[in-house]
Amino acid sequence: MMKRYDMIVVGAGPAGLSAAIEAAKKGMHVVVYDENAKPGGQLFKQIHKFFGSKEHKAKIRGFHIGEELLAEAAELGVEVVLNAIVIGIFPEKEVTVKVEDHVIHVKGDTILIATGASENMVTFPGWTLPGVIGAGAAQTMMNLHGTLPGKRVLMLGSGNVGLVVSFQLMQAGCEVVAVADAASRVGGYGVHAAKVARCGVPFYLSHTIISADGEDCVTGVTIGEVDKNWQIIPGTEKHFDVDTICLAVGLSPMSKLCDMAGCAMEDNPAKAGFVPTVNEYGETSVPGIYAAGDVSGIEEASSAMIEGRIAGIAAAARLGFISEETCKEEAAKQEAALEGLRQGMFAPGMRGKQITETEEGVEISQNLLKHGFVAEEEIERFPGVTHSAGVHPVIECTQNIPCNPCQDACPKHCIRIGSNITALPSIDPEKKCTGCGMCVASCSGQAIFLVNEDCGDGTAEVTLPYEFLPLPQKGDKGVALNRKGEKVCAAEVVHVRSAKAFDHTNLLTMKVPKEYAMKARFFREEETA
Amino acid sequence: MNAEVIIVGGGIIGCAAAYNLAKNGVSVLVLEGSENIGNGGSTRNGGGVRQSGRDPRELPLVMYSIEHIWPQLSDMLDTNVEYYQEGNLRLGSTPQHQKILTGLADSAAAHGVDVRMITGDEARRINPYLSEAVTCASWCPTDGHANPLMATMGYYKMARRLGAHFISGEKVVELRKIKGAARQVVTASGNVYEGDKIILAAGYESRFIASTVGIDVPMQQVLLETLVTEAVGPMFWQMLGTADADFYGHQTEHGSFVFGLNSGLEPYAKPGKPLSSSIAASAACRGIMHYFPDLANIKVVRTWAGWMDACADHVPVISKVEEVPGLILACGFTGHGFGISPAVGLVLSQLAMEQETAVDLSALRYDRFQ
Amino acid sequence: MNDRNRELRPFVPQPDDDMIVCRCEEITKGEIRRAVHDGMFTLTEIRRYLRTGMGLCQGQTCTKLVKGIVSRELGVRPNELGPATGRAPMRPIEMKVLAKDKEETK
Repeated sequence: MMKRYDMIVVGAGPAGLSAAIEAAKKGMHVVVYDENAKPGGQLFKQIHKFFGSKEHKAKIRGFHIGEELLAEAAELGVEVVLNAIVIGIFPEKEVTVKVEDHVIHVKGDTILIATGASENMVTFPGWTLPGVIGAGAAQTMMNLHGTLPGKRVLMLGSGNVGLVVSFQLMQAGCEVVAVADAASRVGGYGVHAAKVARCGVPFYLSHTIISADGEDCVTGVTIGEVDKNWQIIPGTEKHFDVDTICLAVGLSPMSKLCDMAGCAMEDNPAKAGFVPTVNEYGETSVPGIYAAGDVSGIEEASSAMIEGRIAGIAAAARLGFISEETCKEEAAKQEAALEGLRQGMFAPGMRGKQITETEEGVEISQNLLKHGFVAEEEIERFPGVTHSAGVHPVIECTQNIPCNPCQDACPKHCIRIGSNITALPSIDPEKKCTGCGMCVASCSGQAIFLVNEDCGDGTAEVTLPYEFLPLPQKGDKGVALNRKGEKVCAAEVVHVRSAKAFDHTNLLTMKVPKEYAMKARFFREEETA
Repeated sequence: MNAEVIIVGGGIIGCAAAYNLAKNGVSVLVLEGSENIGNGGSTRNGGGVRQSGRDPRELPLVMYSIEHIWPQLSDMLDTNVEYYQEGNLRLGSTPQHQKILTGLADSAAAHGVDVRMITGDEARRINPYLSEAVTCASWCPTDGHANPLMATMGYYKMARRLGAHFISGEKVVELRKIKGAARQVVTASGNVYEGDKIILAAGYESRFIASTVGIDVPMQQVLLETLVTEAVGPMFWQMLGTADADFYGHQTEHGSFVFGLNSGLEPYAKPGKPLSSSIAASAACRGIMHYFPDLANIKVVRTWAGWMDACADHVPVISKVEEVPGLILACGFTGHGFGISPAVGLVLSQLAMEQETAVDLSALRYDRFQ
Repeated sequence: MNDRNRELRPFVPQPDDDMIVCRCEEITKGEIRRAVHDGMFTLTEIRRYLRTGMGLCQGQTCTKLVKGIVSRELGVRPNELGPATGRAPMRPIEMKVLAKDKEETK
């Protein structure tokens, strides 16, 4: 007799694990297969804090979310089989899996396909040279295998992946020489761009790679500006000596297994490729086969987790572990959480739209979109940026994104977002900041600073989130960089705070001449002024 | 739209017929039901160009192909069809196998094909990768193999270059007689095409299309499965088969191995889209490794399945239909149409042009079942 | 798309025609463009004719790239080209492993 499970899950990433947890909670016998040696999918590479609200596990680092999911799955008796490659899905929901040196045949009364995505490539002369890698691959090398992909890196792509990985490359000790993107505007969250830009990384929008140079491996890269027909404008070429070119040019659903299983497929540009058509529960055209996460349309890990939960709930209802009513009720809750994530300027429905002002009617920072940072003359118009005597938060959060941990982080309730999760945070002038720094550490976008604009001795103090090693020490002298990453003045570290509650976001406070209070946003040690 | 000849089916038979007609200045329209040219058995088969093991009624077609067409086909089509005439080894390891193979060899020899029985050691001299398990083999030195994808797409490419008109996604549902002759071809989208001659080469579908003019070709749909491996350096060039017919195949010019599989359950596959089974590739790997242990570490990259149009007496119908003037049938190839396709394309064009055919087709008439 | 006699712009060599697009099978951009002009209009036909996406990675890397080239050549949107079929095994697998298939029994 062939072994049979209530649910077979393909892929132990955020969607697969979440589905397995939800199904197992309802009493289902669930197995999860993953081809990798480590579970968690992309989560274990994500060392940054996630956006969202509490229900989306906001301000928790991705790999911690992965650990939580794994522990929960284990507790519920979910079998997670690693180094297990699903070879195919055959009629009667039979799955063949390569395990160790052999192949097993198992059947599932339901199957969830959560195989995720693969990285897109772009071609240019030299793109096949060693040293041209996907940004996700770079992240795997750094964060899973502890290997530096290179020393000097050019990042192509200013979406969230390109921005997050650029920052992580610098955290790992690489130099990022530039972020380039053929699009005319930064594609990812402005706060991600800003934290890269203030480290001194130049942004080249409307630029693409002309060629990778090198004989046996990458030794350099030439980029150039493109016109509106995507043709290089002669004379705009720029060369960089690099040993690595990272491509962060999007993901494609890895949906071959769905196709093989006989699911109806569609080539849907809005979902970034070839995906199974699914109903509101993630069920494909084959009854009992579900798809969740990137395989059914590229989105964030946070959405993948909710899609997985919905599929797990639906599968439980299909097999009679819960009633239809319970299914509808629970799925509706998850749907609401998913809707919460799909709001704001970066919502799936907003793709390609030109936004000129925020929901509050504030004019968008064009400099942020073109150069990766908010210009000094723009920053004052945002509601998180206010001035008062003594220490107070300055929130340089200028786009409507679904994220609100800062509002709960302040014990004094200085920060307001309200019930609309995408609203820009604003400062309550009635409430008094104590300078505790919880807001600085809680901001996944590293966009909150504590500023004391006038310490009374001609200096100002700026407290900023700092996630680099070695950690500067009190008394260290260096330079302050502005939002563009330019050196603007000398700076001295007055204290560095690390607390468990900050979860490795250190709070570095530097003293600068007071005229730089609203300009100085990063500290660099090695170049003593 | 009108053409002198309308060909129903854009497989290798239809494409080869179109090529031969277009070369003779005949206007041709090819209607392919699926979205892709060469979508049926044409691009899913194992690539054998065999005389050995072939029914005597088909032998003239394959011998003509081997003698006159296959060696020149790459030049004719401006496409490397990867034809290799390096012989066919059919392998056995038991006395029962010896008996089966001897029977096949004797029958072929009686029809003038050079097929002989050899010992295991002789087989290993021809192919040093064979295991000690091989105790006997039949050997046909003039057999070979070619690349079905290249041959099919090559015929298509050249026919198109010569002016043949192809339309894909145009599923033919009906033929209509006009004043006593088959003239009109009706498609699912409602289009009606008209021609002086209609060649029906649509695989198993031909059965339903022919029935609209009152003709039945007794055939059924049987699944065939195939696997292909990664490319490795050249090892051997022979076409391979076994007495049990559990696998057959060859190494391609590209370096990959293509093996046809046979698990025994193929005739019972569910109708619809042809699906690989969960067990056939594994079973074939065991068979292949038994005879070729060196292939154990080579990776399988892809498997696929396809339907063959298995005719009641295992050979095709290649025939004019006198009672439906204008209709020419070419179907029921029963899984071994690839090797004979060059000659079939030629004779179909000759039938359509009312010329004498290069090969006698009387054994392949449509009315032989009556 | 279905009419294979559709008029295409004349084939003009491009400077990057020798750039490899399918790394597994080492197929260049020029070969793909040429194949379109030879009548290979669908992704499946391109695969059959050139072997793009038929190597070790089974098209995971190049499918979108090939689609882009073919659709530009044909003057259609990439998603009009139709799918490339997914087939087992999802990852390359040694014959000796595939040969050892046992039913997982309770």
